[in-house]
Amino acid sequence: MRPLQGTTDTANNKYLRAKESFSEDKAGDSLTGTSKCCPTSPSARRRSPSSKTSEPAPSINNINTADLVPSARLSDPFSIYPDLHQPAIHCQAGLDIPDHRTFPGKAYLQTTIMRGPVPTMVPINTSPSYRPGPDPEGDSQSSSSNSPARQDYEESDFYAGNNDSQSSIGVPTFQDMAVSREICEPPANRLPAEVLIGIFSKLNNPQDLLNCMIVSKRWARNCVDLLWHRPACTTWNKHSYICRTLSVPDPYFAYRDFIKRLNLAALADSVNDGSVSPLFVCTRVERLTLTNCDGLTDSGLIGLLTDSHNLLALDISGDTQITAASMMALAENCRRLQGLNISGCTRISNESMVAVAESCKYIKRLKLNDCDQLEDSAILAFAKHCRHILEIDLHQCRLIGNQPITELLTNGRCLRELRLANCELISDSTFLNLPPNQTYEHLRILDLTSCARLTDRAIEKIIDVAPRLRNLVFAKCRNLTDAAVHAISKLGKNLHYLHLGHCGHITDSAVIKLVQSCNRIRYIDLGCCVHLTDLSVTKLASLPKLRRIGLVKCSNITDESVYALAQYRSLRQERHQLRGDDNFFPSSSLERVHLSYCINLTLNSIVMLLNNCPKLTHLSLTGVQAFLRPDLEQFCREAPPEFTEHQRSVFCVFSGAGVVGLRQHLRHLPAHGIVDDFDQETVAEADDDQTMTGMMSATVLNADDDADAEGGDEELEDGDPGAGAFGGLAT
Amino acid sequence: MSDSKTMITLISNDNVHIQVERTVAERSMLIKNMLEDLGDCAMSSAIPIPNVNEPVLKKVIEWCEHHKNDPQTTADDDSDSRKKTTDIEEWDQKFMQVDQELLFEIILASNYLDIKPLLDVGCKTVANMIKGKSPEEIRKTFNITNDFTPEEEEQIRRENEWAEDR
Repeated sequence: MRPLQGTTDTANNKYLRAKESFSEDKAGDSLTGTSKCCPTSPSARRRSPSSKTSEPAPSINNINTADLVPSARLSDPFSIYPDLHQPAIHCQAGLDIPDHRTFPGKAYLQTTIMRGPVPTMVPINTSPSYRPGPDPEGDSQSSSSNSPARQDYEESDFYAGNNDSQSSIGVPTFQDMAVSREICEPPANRLPAEVLIGIFSKLNNPQDLLNCMIVSKRWARNCVDLLWHRPACTTWNKHSYICRTLSVPDPYFAYRDFIKRLNLAALADSVNDGSVSPLFVCTRVERLTLTNCDGLTDSGLIGLLTDSHNLLALDISGDTQITAASMMALAENCRRLQGLNISGCTRISNESMVAVAESCKYIKRLKLNDCDQLEDSAILAFAKHCRHILEIDLHQCRLIGNQPITELLTNGRCLRELRLANCELISDSTFLNLPPNQTYEHLRILDLTSCARLTDRAIEKIIDVAPRLRNLVFAKCRNLTDAAVHAISKLGKNLHYLHLGHCGHITDSAVIKLVQSCNRIRYIDLGCCVHLTDLSVTKLASLPKLRRIGLVKCSNITDESVYALAQYRSLRQERHQLRGDDNFFPSSSLERVHLSYCINLTLNSIVMLLNNCPKLTHLSLTGVQAFLRPDLEQFCREAPPEFTEHQRSVFCVFSGAGVVGLRQHLRHLPAHGIVDDFDQETVAEADDDQTMTGMMSATVLNADDDADAEGGDEELEDGDPGAGAFGGLAT
Repeated sequence: MSDSKTMITLISNDNVHIQVERTVAERSMLIKNMLEDLGDCAMSSAIPIPNVNEPVLKKVIEWCEHHKNDPQTTADDDSDSRKKTTDIEEWDQKFMQVDQELLFEIILASNYLDIKPLLDVGCKTVANMIKGKSPEEIRKTFNITNDFTPEEEEQIRRENEWAEDR
């Protein structure tokens, strides 16, 4: 067996690194991810040959065996052909490597030479010892090859291999030369560094990575930055160990520079400026998450931001003491910033956000929820300077008017997600003033909850110019009528998610037309659309991918609707099973059904729904008389603590195991003969509501398809409309 | 392009000719790119795989055969595998139940041939062998020599103490 070295194709490296970076726990990092929407040139991911020239030439003693076998895989597939067809010339060719790293035959035969440890911590940009952590994201600006801060990474095994591949373009491989080595070497030692890293990146547990570090020097070198990529500041104990190591004068590795992600959200309650000051030395941090650290003030945050030129994402949501001073430091130090979440930071001035917009031109994700101090000028500045914005959330920025939104849409040609819930000043002219003949092909998600001034005209316009909208939230846009729904129908199969709760003018004919055109709807909410009848729901039941339906307070609907939801699928399923095609419609796709205050419903229809929808994980029937029975209470979820006595008395929500229990219980009630051979096992995947909501809030900024579709805005359900503040809990 | 049922010939480094369906061989991005670039003239001539010997190449082809209908992963698909899970599907688990020498050779071959899903399974398999083991157990498992001095080892332990399960 020959040692197979050298798949150091950059794409492959990226793959291995991507594994680790994408595995990041997004729960804490609400500002993660760059969208797949924005194309990146492959060259940005590739290390340019020029960066290699600045790399220090290693001495022979420093050369690891993995360094020495150049790659057979090259970026240009053509150049491998000589290898494949002329294996015999490998040896000679090996001597011709056009690199300063001439072939050190002596070291090559020495199998156990290891590079020594990195003895001291050295200032940034001068250490030869760094290896970069996994790329934060494939398309991050900071990873581009001309980044001066990155050149010094090159010396590691991993990148050295990569370099060889770059430098030996057109040169055949010479694996054959390594024969003498393999005789005495255990197979594990023949793994090139990038494969070792690939293996280590599968280890979740820091303890496992630590154990690997202690195995040998080579393993330690290839492990250390995975371990320190995102040190777990999950307890104060760990926090203090980490801080102790960072202050050691002569550490074994330059740990501080491996840290790419810092997340103190788990310690948020008691984080203060003192607890972050030992972390000031970490200036290569790319993601800094300080959610709800409201003990933190400007002096702590400014210390963290100073010299953090690689920072890509900052989440200080809920850090209420932060003011303009931090934002000025951000503008000055972190010009590569791509994601910023300052939700609830109401002391940050409008002017300082203008400064951020002017200097952080690469911002893609912006979350300014509840910053009701911000004015049009700040958003206009973002619209003007930050042309790469993909997602912006201005939830409850009450002072924001039409013009900045029009500008954001007009300038931000890649805008994908626009959330303007409770921006009460928004009116039709936001959309009517868009320049003619311009379309917004990237726009997928539009949330205009409670933009109550909007009328059908605005909806018609936006649908017209953004034909690929996928998620629409028009809840509480109370002026909307069937005309708006007709416009929405034009989205056809692109539409996956639609919330029209409290759009009380909507009638059956609009819903029927909607279903005819948009058959890929997965999520629909028509709560409080009081005109709707069984005609609508019967039609909605035919949506093949429907997973979630909200019909709270659609008080006209009867058991017929529920039978339709339960039966339509099972009939079709039987038909397909008859044709031996039982994989086509394995079962009902319904997972969450909200029927609170649909007062006409009875037990019979619900029993059938439960029996025919094995994926059902949530069923709400608050305020439905037929279900206010003591024998069902045991399966019902606890009412949220804020509920009043009356709310508790009518609360009736089943989720997760409660649904399973309810199903079994009802099946054994003699009154209902609807027992079938439905398989209990399929319920095992039942997910709890809490998980759903948790996921939603955590992934708001990197919301991908599923997260959007799943999480949903549940605010209209089940509680009293007057209890809107905790509507989410009420479900 | 030609019919996907076309057979092509690979030559292992011990000079054994192996016939394989083109779609199967194209699980290897190295071979796929090469065939695409060379076009039809590549079909007629045999393709040397100078880094892989016959037993390993056959084993790799066996995997490609079983997975030939898997959806092709593109570079972007990487982003979907966010979880660092070490779950391995049953067939792959059985496939990887080989001696350590062969396991590493499969990994090296999949790395060389650029078959990412196979490389992934290989890495996961090794990761599972590491999980829960002490450093000394890991060294024993993989026959690796400890080249740290006791002082160095102690320093590493101390500096990385936060990573210990408690």
